[in-house]
Amino acid sequence: MPGLGTSFGRGGATVWLPDLVNADCILIEGSNFAEAHPVGFRFVMEAKERGATIIHVDPRFTRTSAVADIYAPMRSGTDIVFLGAIINYLLTNERYFKEYVSAYTNAPFIVGADFKDTEDLDGIFSGYDPDELVYDFSTWTWERDEKGHIATDPSMQHERCVLNVLRKHYARYTPEMVERVCGTPRHLFEQIAELLAKNSGRDRTTAFAYAVGWTQHTNGVQFVRTAAILQLLLGNIGRPGGGIIALRGHADIQGATDIATLYDLLPGYLPMPSANRNEQTLTDYLKTNTKKTGWWVNTPKYMVSLLKAFYGDAATKENDYCFEYLPQLIGDHSQLVTTIAMKDGTVQGYFCIGQNPGASGQNAEMTKAALESLQWFVNIDSYDNETVSFWRREGANPSKIATEVFFLPAATVLEKDGTMTQTSRLLQFHDKAVEPAGEARSDAWYFNWFAKRLKELYAGSTDPKDRPILDMTWNYDNDDPHEREKGEPSVNKVMQEINGYYTATGEQVASFADLKDDGSTASGGWIYTGVFPDKQTNRARNRDGSGEYTALNWGWAWPANRRTLYNRASADPQGKPWSERKKYVWWDETAKKWTGVDVPDFPATKAPDTPANPDATGMDFHSGADPFIMMLDGKGQMFVPGGALKDAPIPAHYEPQQSVVENALYKQQSSPVFGRYDRDDNRYNKPVDENYPYVLTTYRITEMSGIMTRYVPWLAELQPSAFCEIDPELAVKKGIKSGDWVTLSTALGEMEARALVSGRMRPLRLGKGKRVHQIGVPYNYGSMVALARGDSVGTLIAISLDPNVSIHESKTLTCNIRPGRRPQYREGPTDEPVPAKERSVFGQPEGQWMGPKANGQRQEGEKK
Amino acid sequence: MATGFFTDTTLCIGCKACEVACKQWNELPSDGFDFTGDSYDNTSELSGTTWRHVAFVEQMSVDDGGLRDRWLMSSDVCKHCTNAGCLEACPTGAIIRNEFDSVFIQPDICNGCGYCVVSCPFGVVDMIEKFDPEGVRYNLASLVEDRREEHKTALQGNGGVAGKCTLCYDRQKLGFVPACAKACPTDSIQFGDVEELRARARKRVETLTERGMQAQLYGADDIGGGVGPLNAFFLLTDRPEAYNLPAQPVLPSTRQPDGYAAAAVAVLGLAVAGWMIFRNA
Amino acid sequence: MRELTEPPGREEGAPTPTYYERPLLKPPHWGWSVTTYLFTGGIMGGLGLIQLLADRHDEDERKLRRTARITSFLLAAANPALLISHLGRPERFLNMLRIMKFKSPMSLGVWGLVFYSGAAGGNVVRELANSGVVPRWLRFFAPGILTPAQALLGAFTAGYTGVLLSATANPFWSSGKRHIPAASVASGLSSACALSTLLSVLEGNGRVTHKIERLELVAATAELAILAHFERHAGNYGTPFFTGARGKRMRTYTIQAGILAPMALNLLGMLPLPKPVDATRSVIASVLTLVGGYIFRESLIEAGKLSARDPRAAFVQPT
Ligand SMILES: Nc1nc2c(c(=O)[nH]1)N[C@H]1C(S)=C(S)[C@@H](COP(=O)(O)OP(=O)(O)OC[C@H]3O[C@@H](n4cnc5c(=O)[nH]c(N)nc54)[C@H](O)[C@@H]3O)O[C@H]1N2
Ligand SMILES: Nc1nc2c(c(=O)[nH]1)N[C@H]1C(S)=C(S)[C@@H](COP(=O)(O)OP(=O)(O)OC[C@H]3O[C@@H](n4cnc5c(=O)[nH]c(N)nc54)[C@H](O)[C@@H]3O)O[C@H]1N2
Ligand code: SF4
Ligand code: SF4
Ligand code: SF4
Ligand code: SF4
Ligand code: SF4
Ligand SMILES: [Mo]
Repeated sequence: MPGLGTSFGRGGATVWLPDLVNADCILIEGSNFAEAHPVGFRFVMEAKERGATIIHVDPRFTRTSAVADIYAPMRSGTDIVFLGAIINYLLTNERYFKEYVSAYTNAPFIVGADFKDTEDLDGIFSGYDPDELVYDFSTWTWERDEKGHIATDPSMQHERCVLNVLRKHYARYTPEMVERVCGTPRHLFEQIAELLAKNSGRDRTTAFAYAVGWTQHTNGVQFVRTAAILQLLLGNIGRPGGGIIALRGHADIQGATDIATLYDLLPGYLPMPSANRNEQTLTDYLKTNTKKTGWWVNTPKYMVSLLKAFYGDAATKENDYCFEYLPQLIGDHSQLVTTIAMKDGTVQGYFCIGQNPGASGQNAEMTKAALESLQWFVNIDSYDNETVSFWRREGANPSKIATEVFFLPAATVLEKDGTMTQTSRLLQFHDKAVEPAGEARSDAWYFNWFAKRLKELYAGSTDPKDRPILDMTWNYDNDDPHEREKGEPSVNKVMQEINGYYTATGEQVASFADLKDDGSTASGGWIYTGVFPDKQTNRARNRDGSGEYTALNWGWAWPANRRTLYNRASADPQGKPWSERKKYVWWDETAKKWTGVDVPDFPATKAPDTPANPDATGMDFHSGADPFIMMLDGKGQMFVPGGALKDAPIPAHYEPQQSVVENALYKQQSSPVFGRYDRDDNRYNKPVDENYPYVLTTYRITEMSGIMTRYVPWLAELQPSAFCEIDPELAVKKGIKSGDWVTLSTALGEMEARALVSGRMRPLRLGKGKRVHQIGVPYNYGSMVALARGDSVGTLIAISLDPNVSIHESKTLTCNIRPGRRPQYREGPTDEPVPAKERSVFGQPEGQWMGPKANGQRQEGEKK
Repeated sequence: MATGFFTDTTLCIGCKACEVACKQWNELPSDGFDFTGDSYDNTSELSGTTWRHVAFVEQMSVDDGGLRDRWLMSSDVCKHCTNAGCLEACPTGAIIRNEFDSVFIQPDICNGCGYCVVSCPFGVVDMIEKFDPEGVRYNLASLVEDRREEHKTALQGNGGVAGKCTLCYDRQKLGFVPACAKACPTDSIQFGDVEELRARARKRVETLTERGMQAQLYGADDIGGGVGPLNAFFLLTDRPEAYNLPAQPVLPSTRQPDGYAAAAVAVLGLAVAGWMIFRNA
Repeated sequence: MRELTEPPGREEGAPTPTYYERPLLKPPHWGWSVTTYLFTGGIMGGLGLIQLLADRHDEDERKLRRTARITSFLLAAANPALLISHLGRPERFLNMLRIMKFKSPMSLGVWGLVFYSGAAGGNVVRELANSGVVPRWLRFFAPGILTPAQALLGAFTAGYTGVLLSATANPFWSSGKRHIPAASVASGLSSACALSTLLSVLEGNGRVTHKIERLELVAATAELAILAHFERHAGNYGTPFFTGARGKRMRTYTIQAGILAPMALNLLGMLPLPKPVDATRSVIASVLTLVGGYIFRESLIEAGKLSARDPRAAFVQPT
């Protein structure tokens, strides 16, 4: 999550869910907290009971809005205007938290003279290359004095200091502009801006919660950045009841990013070596990726320990710890990009594990077509699904498909041991509850045996290219005889390796502070070091909720069991709590160390008055009042210099790649650098397309989890069919009644769904101008035979990607809608969805009680 | 001890965890897969096989910027009435009041006469029509081991048996909290000693009223019509009708005296007439 | 309940909102078997009275009484069969006899039925003993007290068929908490009279019919009056029964064909008519009454189903 990473230093929620109860105000925007995170939402309800104001900003009035104090509607894809206008509001009315901003952020830094803002270049920043569609970042940087030190103006008066760059940048982000672009009524916007200001400062804090409502855009990272700037201005980062909660998706999605399922990351957020950077040898790699100042000065320790964990004794100083074994990136290898590569024949084999892109993927049809052009395809899953059954989907001709498909049955979460790292970076261990059904095995089992058998196959080979497999350490054999018998590896041993150990003794390493770059330690993921401090203690098993409300003995949170990150900022520069009410971590004068209810996220004994040393390296470069220890300069980044983000140093509003209006702020319509794949198997609607006049947004519903729960009768009966939510005005215009079949279309494809007409969907008036209708479609359905059925909305969505993380734009598109089912509809098992509830006029006596004709009556005696 | 539910609809987020937890614990079948188009409610009502049902009431204004818009959610359940129409009506004694003061149907005694169905003023209890022994089973745990088989056969009768919330009799006997309350993430469903719950509920109404919200209790005190207080009562923010609850429920048995009296009068009248007609040869 | 200020989307004083026009109550799961059960229950009641009244010592009446007793016994014996067909399996009927519950009309009714069968049985035995079909000494087991007993139990059975419906939560049924029981008694008696007339004519006992027909006339008048009052009294609760397709059916078969027509025909009976004509008249009148009586019960149950599915009817329930 580079939005948070580049602003604060770590790609994770800055706070933990239960801390929400300390908030005085909670802004939920870009998430449907109550529906997608119902259990975590209990803490929001608790906060509300304690008097916090809950705000929900969303295109749709959802179950979250229903319990929020204030709900503000908005046009999908316009958050940067909404949040930018709040930034503007705070700056023009001087309502931001001055001491915090000047001490803890880079607001006083002075931006280089030749940096040009979107205000100067009508929607693009300096350094844009219109042919390559990329930026050259050389101008996105600081002014430096003769000694090469960053020029700053503590008074924040300098016209090029970040604060004033922001002033200028957001000057046109006004309440009027919000009304005109977002369609949010002005009075609501102003009320919300005031609430945020009122509930921030020394004595009060406001928390933000977002999820994929902000990220699934062609400039999603910038949505999050805007929130980061706002929270820094309000002084809410690192403080109780403050921060930004990124609500993660699948139960272990945080863990998946930590221990690196992302193609461009190694475990612990170490960059994957790239052929396009000077990283061909370990020395070069470390040169490129070791930061001179801040915590990342430690990169060598973590990288070498990682290589030792991978290759054990084979990894020696002499052979660069086998660094050359690591593959090198040659471009964007993210999922959707790779899918296109499959379609085009450059990729010939595919492991798809625990994912169903045939239904959940953007341009789902292309995914399935891509599978057709593979040589082999392995799918490990607990259910048959659209992906593995691509060859027998509607319209496919199995006799013409050569792909060899291997479908391996996966044990589900209840059928295996393991940990989950949830939204709050908290690791919690879960024990196996039941034996896997039938032939099913845990995913770990499959990898264990892939590895073992590969090693067997290559055994005795002298070919250097086989060394990586032969040298790879692999000893996870289970000590439990029963599990060993079944070939299940020991997840404890895996965790112990991730935690790290001393290569000499095999003893566990207790903290990442002890990791070395001389090969004496091994660690499979340095941020997790400490979860398994010795062979006996697995702290992810901790279940002691007693003591302080931070419950440090419940589970274990990375890094070093800290619950709130950057919590040094919960004290003022002198190390005293900002206020009694918001006491959290502070400097203990007598003991000469940091203490509090949480593990201090700061060198334990570094006094607050320690001066910064501009010439030092590593942590000494930071003063005792620089809370963001991962950062070069220890500051919260309002301005992200040097192209850490590829599309902007400060967020600017662009319309989504498909929109219903022109960009009201700049000539530049949509992000100048987003990933576009304009090809006829990925047809886009025009940027503003009269044939597709309605906004389309997609999301999930409580009743279904992903696309995987359609088989559970108890869930399927609750939301039995794919549906779309439309506002009454549009419904009347199109002659659609609630419950009717409708067909949605984009340039890419069509899908059919049942209509749910509801006043919760509001037509928006953009300023004095256009009337905008938004249509919402849950993504939780797919064409497979299941109890709950319907087309996958993925068939409507052409692939267009964020330039930083290659996430798809599935939150804002344009579409058209018409009554009735889609054509070329063929009878067949995958086609016939469950028929509508019989609504019979029969059984309805005349008389003054009768309301709308017989809606929802059941035939006499007929059972539901 | 009398146990029951205080369902505080102001805390409900409509997640339906209660509905699912109930079906899962009691192994109840689904009621079919019909899309209603009625907000997010596709199960529509309590039934013989749906013992918790979450209602969704949309109250959307077109004009006032939506500030007053509401989406009410409420998890309905058997009220476990002090004077229960179903229990009084049951001719077989299948419906009993158990040690937790809740109204419980003994499925192996129920003979499927269906009289409780028409005797519940709240439209809660209904027949489990098609019982499929192969399909999802009805929870047997609520009965002592040796009656399981009877129970099964009882269920397999063509007439089916009556089904409704057991207030998790089986779980309570094991000292567990009812499945629905356990699953509720926001404590909208609060389980416990009814007297405590009532006290808590009254305080809750006060707090909400102080906050300028309109709230009222449904069934915490005598609800009238002879039904008395409900062991499962609710905090509502609109009229009961909006949630499809009766504003004035009436206990059916209160109508019996009048009924028998009227019948007696008719009999007498006609008997006398008859006597006069038949008197002379 | 405190009145609340109207939420968005609802004007002050707007009609009570319904929940997506979905009904609050569950409809009865009762079909033909229960209808017949109630119908015959009513007749048994009527026959109970007739066998009590018809004890003048002239041959015709004795015949009439015998027929009444035998038929009532046969009906009483048939009724459990009806219940069982409704319940599904025979042993389920036995559960009814686990307990006797005064609060439950269904329970009382079943016990009423059981005792009635006993009384009716005894009286049949006496009849048979009298006419020497069975040994005379068996009369010892059938004392005379059984005659009034069967009448009383019959009266209860007839009344209970009404209370069974009216003492429920069903809005229509309960709106007739007095009318339905009274009407059930009247309807039961008129049907019983009709049945007796029919059988008497068939066994050539035509003369006695005029007495019964006069009684039937009274019963029918009573039934008519009660229904008329019921309609006004029930107001909206009555719509499923009195209006619409089913209302029409009820009016045609029960009121016009089942009450008015027989009344007319029975009045005709006062005139001296040639024997065969008179017999035909009686037969037609009786058949019409019986059909009307059956449709009356059926309409009650079907209207109950409609009423239960009415989305508003049960909000405020008849006291
Ligand atoms: N029940 C259930 N829970 C789940 C999941 C599930 O499938 N089912 N999936 C899990 C996963 S994988 C994830 S990633 C999370 C996702 O969690 P969320 O992001 O909370 O869920 P979504 O429904 O995708 O999107 C949230 C909201 O974003 C709104 N939205 C759309 N466009 C915009 C926009 O431009 N601006 C703003 N402010 N809002 C917008 C949508 O209307 C929607 O209400 O949920 C997790 N939880
Ligand atoms: N239009 C649109 N598209 C979207 C989204 C959106 O908001 N809108 N959301 C996106 C997001 S955030 C996400 S995370 C994706 C989710 O999309 P997917 O991850 O593809 O959808 P899921 O149903 O979560 O897939 C999980 C699969 O894993 C299988 N499974 C479950 N447990 C296990 C296990 O233990 N092992 C193995 N091997 N398999 C298992 C399930 O059977 C299921 O098939 O969808 C994305 N797609
Ligand atoms: S599904 Fe799991 S992760 Fe999602 S809300 Fe429920 S408990 Fe939390
Ligand atoms: S609500 Fe109905 S079913 Fe439940 S106890 Fe009361 S009368 Fe019986
Ligand atoms: S259906 Fe069963 S529970 Fe209901 S009244 Fe009849 S016997 Fe009792
Ligand atoms: S108490 Fe038990 S049976 Fe009743 S609704 Fe809750 S879970 Fe279902
Ligand atoms: S579980 Fe609780 S919050 Fe969820 S629907 Fe049921 S009552 Fe409401
Ligand atoms: Mo996700």
